[in-house]
Amino acid sequence: MNVLEITNLTKKFADFIAVDNMSLSVAEGEIFGFLGANGAGKSTTINMIAGLLRSNDGTISILGKNSAKQSRFAKMNIGMVPQDLAIYEDMTAYENVKFFAGLYGLRGAELNERVEEALEFVGLQDKHKSYPKSFSGGMKRRLNIACAIAHRPKLIIMDEPTVGIDPQSRNYILTSVRKLNEMGCTIIYTSHYMEEVEEICSRIAIIDHGKIIAEGTKEQLKSIITNTKDVWIEVKSIENANLESIKEINGVEAVFIDENLIKINSDTGVNNLNKIIEHFMSSGIEIRSLQEKAPNLETVFLTLTGRNLRDQ
Amino acid sequence: MNILNIAWKGIKTDFRDTRTLFFMLAFPIVLMLVLGTALSNTFTTSLRVDDIDVLYKDTTKGEDFPHFIAAAEKSGLHFKKATSSIDGEKEVKQGAYDGYVEVTAQGLQLYVNNGTSIEGNILHGMLASFVDQYNIASEIIKVAPEKLESAFTREKPADFIKETSLLPDKQPGSMDYYAIVITTMIILYGAMSASSLIVSERVRKTADRLIASPVRKSEIFIGKVLGSLVSNSICIVLVILFSKLVFKANWGDHLGLVFLVLLTEVIFAVSMGIGVSFLTKTSAGPRVFIMLFVQLASFFGGAYFKINNPEGIFKLITDLSPLTWMNTALTKIIYANDFAAALPALSINLASSFIFLLVAVISLQRREGL
Repeated sequence: MNVLEITNLTKKFADFIAVDNMSLSVAEGEIFGFLGANGAGKSTTINMIAGLLRSNDGTISILGKNSAKQSRFAKMNIGMVPQDLAIYEDMTAYENVKFFAGLYGLRGAELNERVEEALEFVGLQDKHKSYPKSFSGGMKRRLNIACAIAHRPKLIIMDEPTVGIDPQSRNYILTSVRKLNEMGCTIIYTSHYMEEVEEICSRIAIIDHGKIIAEGTKEQLKSIITNTKDVWIEVKSIENANLESIKEINGVEAVFIDENLIKINSDTGVNNLNKIIEHFMSSGIEIRSLQEKAPNLETVFLTLTGRNLRDQ
Repeated sequence: MNILNIAWKGIKTDFRDTRTLFFMLAFPIVLMLVLGTALSNTFTTSLRVDDIDVLYKDTTKGEDFPHFIAAAEKSGLHFKKATSSIDGEKEVKQGAYDGYVEVTAQGLQLYVNNGTSIEGNILHGMLASFVDQYNIASEIIKVAPEKLESAFTREKPADFIKETSLLPDKQPGSMDYYAIVITTMIILYGAMSASSLIVSERVRKTADRLIASPVRKSEIFIGKVLGSLVSNSICIVLVILFSKLVFKANWGDHLGLVFLVLLTEVIFAVSMGIGVSFLTKTSAGPRVFIMLFVQLASFFGGAYFKINNPEGIFKLITDLSPLTWMNTALTKIIYANDFAAALPALSINLASSFIFLLVAVISLQRREGL
């Protein structure tokens, strides 16, 4: 059964089409990844699913029911973890979860039980009397999640839940996402961190200019670009690197820099590794390591959209 | 139930906010104390007059003026006989005495430094009374000397003029006045916090979570307004009780009606705050507007200084201040038992509230999200 079914969804802001005739479905038990650069339309899509925005056209069905016609049913079954922290700093962790869970009709002992359960799930049971202003970024993110899961939704939408937190908290959250999934929740997950999506999502949609340009499992997406390989070159310093001239080497399709790591997408049919190395040596750039990699999700994204995921 | 849930959350967080508590509780109490004490003279209707020293010269050798002196001494007038070497007029000019009286067979001559001074007026009045009595006695002696004694020895002279003082005891003192005007002013300041009721949810991004929950926008709106009304009302009740019990401010014998009028002002302030918040695009805009409005309304509504009998354009401006109609209504209820005075204030407050709430509701319906 599909937990989410989107058909011909369209959203316009004045003349700008943020979501363009989008259709997709998410089956029960999936962790569905949404990938897209800033402004691609993924947040708009998520906001329409969660009922924060109205669509101009198309339908959204949650558990088989049209969310526009049965919005209360849809909202009761959705847990929203917004990209921005949506918690009250002047209420304790316990009060925050209790207040939001109370909006879903939970009362009395059941409410308290669910609140404790949610706080325990995110590892904040010992901090339930503390105010979020004393929390680290990671703890706030976990509380943000607890507020969305106390009412036990069938579908949890997580919009960039790991932004700006330490690796330990990120791992905690990713583990939590998997646990929620094991407990039967279907999850829609967006992130700027490609490795997160690659690690936890069972199916992924790549969105660009309001449209889904590719959709499938990791393996299915990677198979789209079988004629591309990645060459990762770590250099001592990129000060003298002339990226434009690297692009002129036969077979090189794109070049990206991640600190001292230069990532080159190249055509698998062209043997140009010697020329690339020669280019660096002639430029006086010291190579520390070189790896030729099979394409990952980032390569797929770059190839399909022409943009880095973190491009503004 | 969601409405109560949202309202209760608002009340709880309002009372946890030290800024709210300071502004809604400590600030008005301190302001009442400072203004009520510092400006108490402005509201005093009595005047203190010290003893009056009078120099006199009596050349008549009669007994009438010494009798007058003896009687006047009881009223704080001290007469001293001038020796021949003393220049009475000069003594008065130099301020050594409040007045100089020369008693001759031709009559009385009074010298005072300032004819319009209180001391001069008192002296003049008493001497004039003495002269009148003397003249009456002279006339009685001429026609019926046997009646003279009975005419002047009556123990209690009949009062031919009945004097009634208008509102002598039921005038607000400074603390009474400032208890009313500071309370109505602080209620109006409630519009500031009301202006951020919805805006703060947007800024904190909790608006998204609220909208994502199965709660209607109308429930969120009513819950927010209700919470703010209750918070503000509790603060006002505490301020009134404190001013009544500690400062002994007079809130009259009709506290129920006074609270009702004040409650409509709370509704007005909260509605104005939330209405204005939907009329401006920036989150800081409503606060700036409301701050300016409340300051002007307070100044022209007499919150800082009592405004007596304004005229012309100044009167028009003071009449436009919500504090003017509130303070007028409350003063009439408390000091004149004029219950009908509540009606204009109640009507204007509720009608204005309706308009502001209507603006907010229409804007909310048109918006996506909160």
